Amino acid sequence: MALSTTVSQRKLIKRKAPRGFLKRVFKQRKPHLRLETNSDLLVHLNCLLLVHRLAEEARTNACENKCGVIKKEHVLAAAKVILKKSRG
Amino acid sequence: MTARHCSHRARSIDRLAHVQASGHLEEQTPRTLLKNILLTAPESSILMPESVVKPVPAPQVVQASRQESGRGSLELQLPELEPPTTLAPGLLALGRRKQRLRLSVFQQGVDLGLPPSQEPHGNADASSLTSSLNLTFATPLQPQSVKRPGLARRPPTRRAVDVGTFLQDLRDTSLALAPPDTVLEDTQPFSQPLVGRSPSVHHSLPCPSHSGAKDVERAASRRTWSSGLGLQNNGAGKPAPFLAGKVEEVGALAMGFPNISSNISGEDVIEPLQNGVGEEAEERMEESLREVEKAAEAQGSARAEEPEGHIEVTEAEGSWGAVEAKEPEGSSGDEDTSGRTASPELASSTPEFLRARRLQFLETAPPPSTAVLPSEPPEPLSARLPPKPRIPGSRPRQDPYKTGLNHYAKLFSFYAKMPMEKKAVEMVEKCLDKYFQHLCDDLEVFAAHAGRKTVRPEDLELLMRRQGLVTDQVSLHVLVERHLPLEYRQQLIPCAFSGNTVFPAQ
Repeated sequence: MALSTTVSQRKLIKRKAPRGFLKRVFKQRKPHLRLETNSDLLVHLNCLLLVHRLAEEARTNACENKCGVIKKEHVLAAAKVILKKSRG
Repeated sequence: MTARHCSHRARSIDRLAHVQASGHLEEQTPRTLLKNILLTAPESSILMPESVVKPVPAPQVVQASRQESGRGSLELQLPELEPPTTLAPGLLALGRRKQRLRLSVFQQGVDLGLPPSQEPHGNADASSLTSSLNLTFATPLQPQSVKRPGLARRPPTRRAVDVGTFLQDLRDTSLALAPPDTVLEDTQPFSQPLVGRSPSVHHSLPCPSHSGAKDVERAASRRTWSSGLGLQNNGAGKPAPFLAGKVEEVGALAMGFPNISSNISGEDVIEPLQNGVGEEAEERMEESLREVEKAAEAQGSARAEEPEGHIEVTEAEGSWGAVEAKEPEGSSGDEDTSGRTASPELASSTPEFLRARRLQFLETAPPPSTAVLPSEPPEPLSARLPPKPRIPGSRPRQDPYKTGLNHYAKLFSFYAKMPMEKKAVEMVEKCLDKYFQHLCDDLEVFAAHAGRKTVRPEDLELLMRRQGLVTDQVSLHVLVERHLPLEYRQQLIPCAFSGNTVFPAQ
């Protein structure tokens, strides 16, 4: 498993899913439930997609404000929209 | 005989000479006399007899050698060996010690009024014999002293720092400085103690004077200023008054620490060292500042002198909490304004303190610094201890959780492809936290709806469908293939392998 990848942005991105972290969080929140092995990865996928959407939205907000830097307000507004939309 | 043989003989001759010199004082031959003189003479005289002895005993030594031929087997060897062997070792010795001999001979000549130098070299006659003899005899006695002092390796002498002048310079520079520009954003490790402080101090003076609004400017000025300060290693007794009041104000500032360290370390390339030093400096700063608070109150008013240093100090104090925040940007602006008013003295005190910490010696600095001084020596000791006692219970909960969220926050910043503020990243983490809560609740509901107590991938797929990620056009497998690496893909998507097998098995 490639722990980290160098991309064009010259940043090292970890492609590994923090499976232990996800399992621990789930166990802390819902101790009476169990999480299956593969569903762990799907949770990670879900988080990835969420982060992706959040980033897109925040970037759009920042660009609309003609700001070169993503600020707290942009992220907040983006989060409101996305979380509302993804409320199953 | 071969050269090696001759040298060996020479060595044996040397040993014999020692023995003879010690044992047979009653033999008042010129040879033994010379030997004794050589053995007992002081360092400089070792080579001196060379010129003195050479002309005189040359014939005598030869005669003595002949006279000694009948004595003992050992002694017999000497006179026999002398003519052939002394030449060779003598020449060898001469060759080796040409330079030194010349100088020593020259010195002797100057002292004695004899013509310098040519004599020791290359005389095949008795004079060379005697000189070589003398030389060979002399060397075993005082191998070190024979060499010229200039060639000896000396430990690097450290120039003692004049604290008084240093403090004076510090005050002068601080007076000369304009109101503190801004926060030092550079984290410069207070790494190397610099000896030549004065040039750097003066050099740094003009730089800090500019009140640079920009971080870069500040950073540059900081570097120079810090370099200047850094040079003043020994200024342990920095007057920097650690004002208690100022300390409190400073505490509010976030930056500063790296700046302080930069002050101290000074010189050229500070950036690569910043990270490591910054953390160290922080610890020290914490310790020192606590102590400073005690001591500083008395000195508070005195130090209006070093504005820049103060800012740095304030920043440093502020930076305790935020070690990692080396970026000046947002906070530095705030800090500058507050830092200027806060404590000019603190800044000076921090460099002093840092230097003192480095050197770890008390100095009899001028009176204002004396109060600080006693606080300083304990600082290095306290700095070694762990910085803060933490609540044992809360620690495991926060750190791994934060680390996990941080992972996703980094992914966020990667996907955004734009620079982000720290606060924005924290915001992202909060959102993730909330999202996890929702996620767990939903999964619980879905599993309970299916009558299970285990969350399975079908529950996840249902969740994603409800979120609108998975549609009739876009299936889960498509998403898996798009976003997950190969290893995970293989585990999630059943694939047919050879032998009529499917992995993962269903």
